[in-house]
Parts: sequence; structure tokens; C-alpha cells
Amino acid sequence: MAGKIIADQIEHSTAGTVDTQYVVNGSAKAWNNLNGTGTIAIRDSFNISGITDEGTGRYLHSVVNAFSSANNVANGFVRVSANYGFLSGDNDTPFTTSSFRNGTHGGGAAALVDALYVTISLSGDLA
Amino acid sequence: MTQTPQFKGTHLFDRLCWAKENLEPVQSDYRVVYEDSVDECAKILVPDPNFMACALAGGILPEVWVYHELAKDEAQPDFKKHTRGYLLHNTEPVEAMTEEQAIEYLILKDCPQHVVETWNEGNRPTMVICKKEQLPQTREWRNAWRISDELAA
Repeated sequence: MAGKIIADQIEHSTAGTVDTQYVVNGSAKAWNNLNGTGTIAIRDSFNISGITDEGTGRYLHSVVNAFSSANNVANGFVRVSANYGFLSGDNDTPFTTSSFRNGTHGGGAAALVDALYVTISLSGDLA
Repeated sequence: MTQTPQFKGTHLFDRLCWAKENLEPVQSDYRVVYEDSVDECAKILVPDPNFMACALAGGILPEVWVYHELAKDEAQPDFKKHTRGYLLHNTEPVEAMTEEQAIEYLILKDCPQHVVETWNEGNRPTMVICKKEQLPQTREWRNAWRISDELAA
């Protein structure tokens, strides 16, 4: 890296200080934005090696830098064509240390559907 | 072409940050289609453009055996947390790959191991590398897709 600042805290002139560990621990460690319709394609991402299209509305996101455990957090939103959608953990064990499996649904229905926008952000400790 | 710095011993996440800032994403036309269960439809592995950029540039990604070692640890019944994450960061990064080599790396990393080991043992292949144009252009009956004889040829 070109340069490095090593600091345990950041101080604002009036608003107080924050430990940099909050920044490190609170930052997303991987994210992915993909088009889950047609021939599936990743629009942009970070720390992702690939996604696996596992069927209608089922996607497996694999990461390059694995997490230290499988107790991670996923956030995201889904857009299903001209409708709103929502994201779900696909099965009982959606997380491994190196992947996250999700489902996408549309219009408040339980059935899985392909989504135009599948966006996820993964947080947790890295291995 | 951007020269990758000497990254041995640099945290993999830092290397990925460097790559995101300095390398152009590479959209590959290759897709890996595989069947890992007779009860499920064919699955399609799509390479990530930033991953492909890292693979083609070289000096960023760890050797693929590192992932297999971590997977072995995770498969232990008492697994809680990785204790050998240093393998990702301290192992000599792999050199620049061709696009085809990058796809092979991705298969070894992300396809289920039993598929990689047995894909050619049955009366038809259970894994195929193809171009995205060879896949159906609509997702009609997606949950019934299998590897066709045409694709397997």
C-alpha cells in the first residue's frame, strides 16, 4: 500500500471520538450487486469470487477472503422486475465461512422468483 | 498494464482493496455448469469480474489449496472459527493466469469437491465449461435445467 495511518481512535472537533475498531468491525467485508434475470451477470462487487445460479431465485455468493466463522450478517435489497421484492436466507444454513446462499421473492409472496437487482452486503470478522 | 506490488505477507483483504482501486474488472464469457445432485437442477457458476481481474493480473490471490485446507477445517464437527486464516495472507500469491486457468482455479475453489472429482465418471459429464451464449437466453423452466447432450459434447 502507498501509505498507512495507524490509529486506535479518530477524534472529531466537537462530536467526540470513536475507536477505529468500530470502523474496522462495522465495515462490510464483501458486497455484490447482480442481475439475476436472463443470463445472470455481476454488475459490481467486492471480495466476491463468483456467484452460482442455483435455480429460480436462488443465488450462492462465494467470497475470496473467507470469514473467520459462519456467524455473519447479510443485508440487502431485491428488485423483481417492476415490483418490490425481498431477500431471504435460502435454507437452514445460509452461511459458511466462504459463502452466503440467498433466495429472492417478489410481491410479498413466499415463492422464489428471479430478481432484476440482487444486492447483498456481508459483515463479520475475516479469517 | 498495471504492475501488482509484491504482496506476500500482505493481508488478502488489503490486496483486494488495491485491486478494486487499480484493476479494470474483466467480464468473462465463460460459465461453469454442473449438476451436484440428481434431485436438483443444473447450477451455473458465474465468475466475478473483479476476481477475474485479480487472477489475470497475478500476485493477489492465494494458492487454491489454501481454500481446501480451510474447507477441511470447517468440515470438522467441532469447528467454531478459523485458526489458520494466515494461510490466505502469508502464502505466496499465485502468478498471473490466463482466462482459462482462472476458470479452472474458480472451479477448484467454488464447485463442490465431489463434482470436481467425479464429473467425468458417469455415462455423461456432470460438469461443463461453456460460453454464456450457449445457455438458454430465457430462464423458462429454470428449475428443470440439466446439462444437455449438445452442451456436453
